[in-house]
Amino acid sequence: MTSIIPNQKPVIRVSESGFRRSVPERGADQGVTVTAVGSTGLPAVEPLVTVTQAGETALYTQCSPADVEAIIDALEAAGGDVDDAADRAKKTPEAVVDHEPTATRLPTAGVPGLDTRARSVLGGCGWRRPTNPADYEAAAGFEPPDPEAVLELGASLRGRGWGDLCHDAPLAETWETVRGAAGSPVVVVNGHGTTADTLLLESAPFEVLDGAVALARTVEADSVIVYASAADDRAVDTVREAAANYPELPVGVDVVTGPPEYRAAEPTMALEAIEGNHRLEARLRPPGPEEVGLHGQPTLIHTPRTLAHLAVGLREGELPGTRLLTVTGDVDATATVELPADDTLADGLDAVDLNGRFKAARVGGRFGGLTSDLDVAVDPESLAAADLGTEGSVHVLAEDRCLVEFVGKTATFAAEENCGRCVPCREGTTQLAGLLRDIYDGSYAPEKIDELVRVMSTSSICEFGVQAGRPVRTALSEFEAEFEAHADGHCPAGSCLDPLEA
Amino acid sequence: MSSDQQQAEIPPLTEGIAPGTATDPPVGSEAAATVTVDGTEVALDAGSTLLDALDRIETDDYVPALCHYGRQEIGPRSECRTCMVDTEEYGIVPACSFPARDGMTVRTAAREAAEARDVNLDLVLSDHNLRCTTCGKNGRCELQDASIENEVEEPRYGVLDDRDEYEPLDDSSPFIQIDRNKCILCNRCVESCNDVQVEGVLRIEGTGKDTRIGFQNGAETMDESTCVSCGHCVTVCPTGALVEKGIEDATTIPLPGFTQKNSIGKTYEHSTQAKAPMTPKKQDEQTETVDSESRTTDSETVDVDVWDDASGGGEWP
Repeated sequence: MTSIIPNQKPVIRVSESGFRRSVPERGADQGVTVTAVGSTGLPAVEPLVTVTQAGETALYTQCSPADVEAIIDALEAAGGDVDDAADRAKKTPEAVVDHEPTATRLPTAGVPGLDTRARSVLGGCGWRRPTNPADYEAAAGFEPPDPEAVLELGASLRGRGWGDLCHDAPLAETWETVRGAAGSPVVVVNGHGTTADTLLLESAPFEVLDGAVALARTVEADSVIVYASAADDRAVDTVREAAANYPELPVGVDVVTGPPEYRAAEPTMALEAIEGNHRLEARLRPPGPEEVGLHGQPTLIHTPRTLAHLAVGLREGELPGTRLLTVTGDVDATATVELPADDTLADGLDAVDLNGRFKAARVGGRFGGLTSDLDVAVDPESLAAADLGTEGSVHVLAEDRCLVEFVGKTATFAAEENCGRCVPCREGTTQLAGLLRDIYDGSYAPEKIDELVRVMSTSSICEFGVQAGRPVRTALSEFEAEFEAHADGHCPAGSCLDPLEA
Repeated sequence: MSSDQQQAEIPPLTEGIAPGTATDPPVGSEAAATVTVDGTEVALDAGSTLLDALDRIETDDYVPALCHYGRQEIGPRSECRTCMVDTEEYGIVPACSFPARDGMTVRTAAREAAEARDVNLDLVLSDHNLRCTTCGKNGRCELQDASIENEVEEPRYGVLDDRDEYEPLDDSSPFIQIDRNKCILCNRCVESCNDVQVEGVLRIEGTGKDTRIGFQNGAETMDESTCVSCGHCVTVCPTGALVEKGIEDATTIPLPGFTQKNSIGKTYEHSTQAKAPMTPKKQDEQTETVDSESRTTDSETVDVDVWDDASGGGEWP
């Protein structure tokens, strides 16, 4: 397969999420190459058509299939000249960017949302064909790394997301445990459930596989298992194709799916799903999976985000030092962006248009913390200090949202979706939902809620129960007046009590 | 076929067993260890948990460890979390399933650990039908003992006391009665049934608040399950959830008109139909390809001697 990266001949890339619509694929022999690439992480600008030749790229946002045809025709008529084509096409490009002819990352200057200060882990998204090894090789991929370099990066790289065995913790110590443990190590790539992880599997699977393979070599693992939700068809198909196209894989790579439920992303439940258990519940630890994991073997479980950071770090000699952030909720379209770690959550909101005025946000996953203050850096220490989650997500709540109703729904979700194993989570979430419901009857018991949430977090078996009370805890500390108002029979947002009284 | 070959093709008895629970790692310590509990040093063999240390001494605070069984390799399930203790090294941990590592310092009376035990015990009670006066296990119930010892007077979250939410009493088996409203999901019965007796009848099913003890063949009642009535589950049950028939009212306080049976709304009664000897799940599985209508009759007439059939032996599910 030939790479499109040298960008000598005119190339048109069509980037979109979801299953590809009909992109009229053409090879270079037809003068203009037209090809589908993965999503950029910003569905609001997609389908994004980029027209590239000789160090110049025009970016056309929100293109219909007719627009795509028109742009192809214009480029042919213009003899491959990007600027001339832009004049001829009825559609105006959002931006025209000059760059190195051999650029391996999507040039993003001038496109709101895409244009963050950093785009290295997501660099290939929307630029390289996801499953084409030649494109990835042109970006200096597939280099067998030195295990010492891997361990060195692992000393400062932190695991991303609750699906990662080393959530927020440096990785190298756990890797050393696996190296020292008896048995045949396994590397599990846990791509279940998180928007940013799904994006990487769909748009840049080689980054993920490269990180996993480098790690497998380092810990002398026999196999790599990519685990994803059965609902994420495109991610599963794409990473499967990428694994098949990976040149001279030094370890076996399997792709396995699990049920789409939220809990199935928990690392030990992921192992249960991979082992084929029909019912998923958390395992006890210690000893953790790094000692006794998949089928009893020492097992590492990392998210695609963690492994992509590792792969990019190995390629560039240093870690990118960025965080992926997904912004969703009351916004025009969900956006996943890459930010320098010292950027704030508010910087991430630049990538979206809000539906209504900003009131608050749930930061850090399904069980993240509620806050109205987004002037918090996206690094895990700053987020933890503000009692916010570190999942890499911001769920925006507009002015007309009632927070009591919102955290009530989160508690109900937790009560219905937990695995059912341990009492603090199984019974605690049920009681928590009940205590919140009691507020509507005028009975508001903040100490009782605090106590319950505290015990859920100190004594649950897994992160599900540890985190499930955080939305309520954080909402109580910042928005207590709303809870008191509900106990008095009115909803300040005006959204949840009226329907009950009607 | 020689008998040797036939032997090799027979899968282990546990092959088809699906209890619906996670495969936990071994939680005992790797080496002998000395730990300090409430100021007292305790020396322990390899394979010990912190609860083994707690059991050796008089602790400052009462640690219920309600779901713990500790015999016949049943557990630790570590689900009730009423054994939380404070450790200097790892913070608050469950004593029943935390390895006793050398040099650990444990405090039972630490405020957050005591709070976790109290709240979790109350959470167990919140989902328990507390009609002790009509319960056959009144006076010999581990939950009752733990609640008395822990000085529970009024559980924070109340008790399960809504007849609309009660699960029907399963009185369908001639030997064992199930009252799921008293089940604390300790999993002892499931482990005794699958890991000790290797019968593969009971399982944990459902999630969240719908988690319950069920049957691996999908039956709704014990009568329709593949239970062989060995009774092991009854002997390990800490509460009145699984009780031997005939003594289900043994310790009921004689209040006119109140019995264990009418304490619940609905009851599954024993069908009066004569039943063929109960067969383990393994034989039932052989009829899985038969459609459901003919399944019940087929399962009674299924060729028990399936291992004589080479193809049958090889296609074990």
